[in-house]
Amino acid sequence: MKIDVRHIAKLAKLRIPDEKLGQMEKELSSIVAMVEKLPELTGSTNLLDPNNTMELRKDEIVPSMPREDILKNAPKAAAGCFIVPKTVE
Amino acid sequence: MKELHQYSATELSALLREEKVSATEIAKASLARIAAVEPTVDAYLTVTEEKALANAAAIDAKIAAGEELGALAGIPIAIKDNICTKNVKTTCASKMLGDFVPPYEATVMERLNKAGVVLTGKVNMDEFAMGGSCENSFFKATKNPWDPTRVPGGSSGGSAAAVAACEVPFSLGSDTGGSVRCPASFCGIVGLKPTYGAVSRYGVVAFASSLDQIGPMARTVDDVELLFSTICGRDPRDATSHQYTYEKAARDLKGLRVGLPKEYFGEGITAEVKAAVLKGVKQLEALGASVVEISLPSTDYALSAYYIISSAEASSNLARYDGVKYGYSGRRDAGLDELYLTSRSEGFGPEVQRRIMLGTYVLSSGYYDAYYKRAKRLQQMIAAEFTEAFTKCDIIATPVTPTTAFKLGERCADPVQMYAGDICTVTVNIAGLPGLAMPCGYDAGGLPIGMQLIGPKFSENRLIAVAKSYETAVGGFAVKEM
Repeated sequence: MKIDVRHIAKLAKLRIPDEKLGQMEKELSSIVAMVEKLPELTGSTNLLDPNNTMELRKDEIVPSMPREDILKNAPKAAAGCFIVPKTVE
Repeated sequence: MKELHQYSATELSALLREEKVSATEIAKASLARIAAVEPTVDAYLTVTEEKALANAAAIDAKIAAGEELGALAGIPIAIKDNICTKNVKTTCASKMLGDFVPPYEATVMERLNKAGVVLTGKVNMDEFAMGGSCENSFFKATKNPWDPTRVPGGSSGGSAAAVAACEVPFSLGSDTGGSVRCPASFCGIVGLKPTYGAVSRYGVVAFASSLDQIGPMARTVDDVELLFSTICGRDPRDATSHQYTYEKAARDLKGLRVGLPKEYFGEGITAEVKAAVLKGVKQLEALGASVVEISLPSTDYALSAYYIISSAEASSNLARYDGVKYGYSGRRDAGLDELYLTSRSEGFGPEVQRRIMLGTYVLSSGYYDAYYKRAKRLQQMIAAEFTEAFTKCDIIATPVTPTTAFKLGERCADPVQMYAGDICTVTVNIAGLPGLAMPCGYDAGGLPIGMQLIGPKFSENRLIAVAKSYETAVGGFAVKEM
C-alpha cells in the first residue's frame, strides 16, 4: 500500500523536502509493514484501564507559576504575552 | 583500596552518617570521576558542578549543626535530560529544547531534593526518549563503558553509562518501551521500570503518556530500592499516580514460582543471551524457587501494538512544539503556518519526525480503526494473558534484549531492525507491569547480559527481593574497571 507522505506531513505540520520524500516513504512503508502484523480482533474496546481509576485532584485555588518565569522560555514575548506572526489582515 | 566514587549510595550514606567522609568530599570525588571518564563515555549533557558543591556544602552544614538528614543526603545523582530540573537546562537531547530551562521541578526532583540528593548533572538520551541506542541524541552519542566502540543502549543511555562508569552511584531514567531496562542490561547494571502509576510523571517530558514511567538505575539492588522508595507514591499533579508506599518484602525464595514464557526464548534471541538467562534462572532454583513453563501467546504482536500506541500518543503530545511558547522557533516573517512548519521540521531530528509521521498516519481518517483501535484491543489481550500467567507463577523471567550491546552506527540505517531490539521489554509497558533488569552473565566478548524479572502490578518489592537474593548469591555484580 502506498502511503501519501505529503498528506501525512501536512497533517503533522512537518515539511519534508522533495529530495527526502522517497526515503521517508520507504522508511514509513517498512515500519507500517511491521506494525500491520496484527490479528483480527472483534469485541468492544475499553480505551481506559479499568484498574486505573484516575483520581482527579481537588479543584482548589493554589498559586500558579509566575508569568515572567513562564515567559523566560518564550522565543518572543512582549507586555506579558507571547508574540506570534500576524494571522489576521 | 576502594575509591570514593566506587561506593554505592547505601555505603556512602553510612559513611556520611558516621562522619567518616563529608558530602563535599563525596561530591568532589564524583565530579573528579566525571572529569576523568567523560572524554571516553560522553554521558553528560550538563554538569552542574557549582550547584552540586553548594548542595553538598549545605548538607555538611546540616551535619555540623546536628540536624536530621534526608534518606539520600549527600548522594550524587545523574538525571535523564527529559526530567525537568528547575533552573537547570532540560533538553530532551533535542535541538527543539536545546535552550529550555524549566521554571519548575518534576515531582521526582522535589522528592529527591527533599531527601537531600546532590544533582551532578543531566545525562544524554535518544531525542525525546525515542530509540534504543542513545545515538538519536541531537548532541552526541554516549559510549558503553564496557566497550566504548559500542552503544550503551537506550533511550536512557546516559543514565546507564554514568552509573556503570562510576560517575554516580545511581541515576534516574525513563521507560516507555524498555528505555531503563535495555541500557541497564547493555551496561551491566540494575534498572527498574515501575508499575504504571507507581511514580509521578509530572515534569517528565511526555512521549507516550499511557506508557511512560520514570525508573531508578544503580549498580546494586539496594540502591535501586533506596531510590525507588524515595520517588514512588501518589502525586495530585499526576492523576494516574497511585496511593502507594513501598514496603520491603521477605528475601526468602522458597516456594517462589518462576514462570518461563517460551515466546521470549525463541527466534531472534542469541544463544548466549538465552543460555545466560537460563543459568540465572537455575540460580534462582538453587535458592529455593521452582520453575513453571508458561505461555504468553500474543507476544508476537506486542511490537506492532507498542509502535502504534506509542507513536500515536507521541504525535499528539509533540503537537505542542509550535515555536511559540517555548523551544526552537523557526521563520517568523511568513505567517503562522510557516512558523509551525519551520520550527518543527528544523527542531525535531529524523527519528522523532518518523514517529510523528507514523503516529499521524495510524490516527488519520480511515486508518484509526485498522491500527489504533486494534492495537488497543491487543493491549488488553496482552494484559489479560499476563494476569492469567500470574495465577500459575509469582514472577516471570525473560531476557531483556535479544543481543548484547551492538556497535555504534550498526543499526542506524534501519529503523525496523532497531525497533526489533525492544521485543522483550515492550509487553511490560503495554500491560502496565513492573519489570526489573539485572546482570546475569557475559557474552564471549565480555559484554554484560541482562535478565528481566516481571511481576504483577505493584510487586516491585517482590522483584527487588528476588534480585537482591540473586545478587547476594552470585557475590554482587561486576563493575567495569575504567
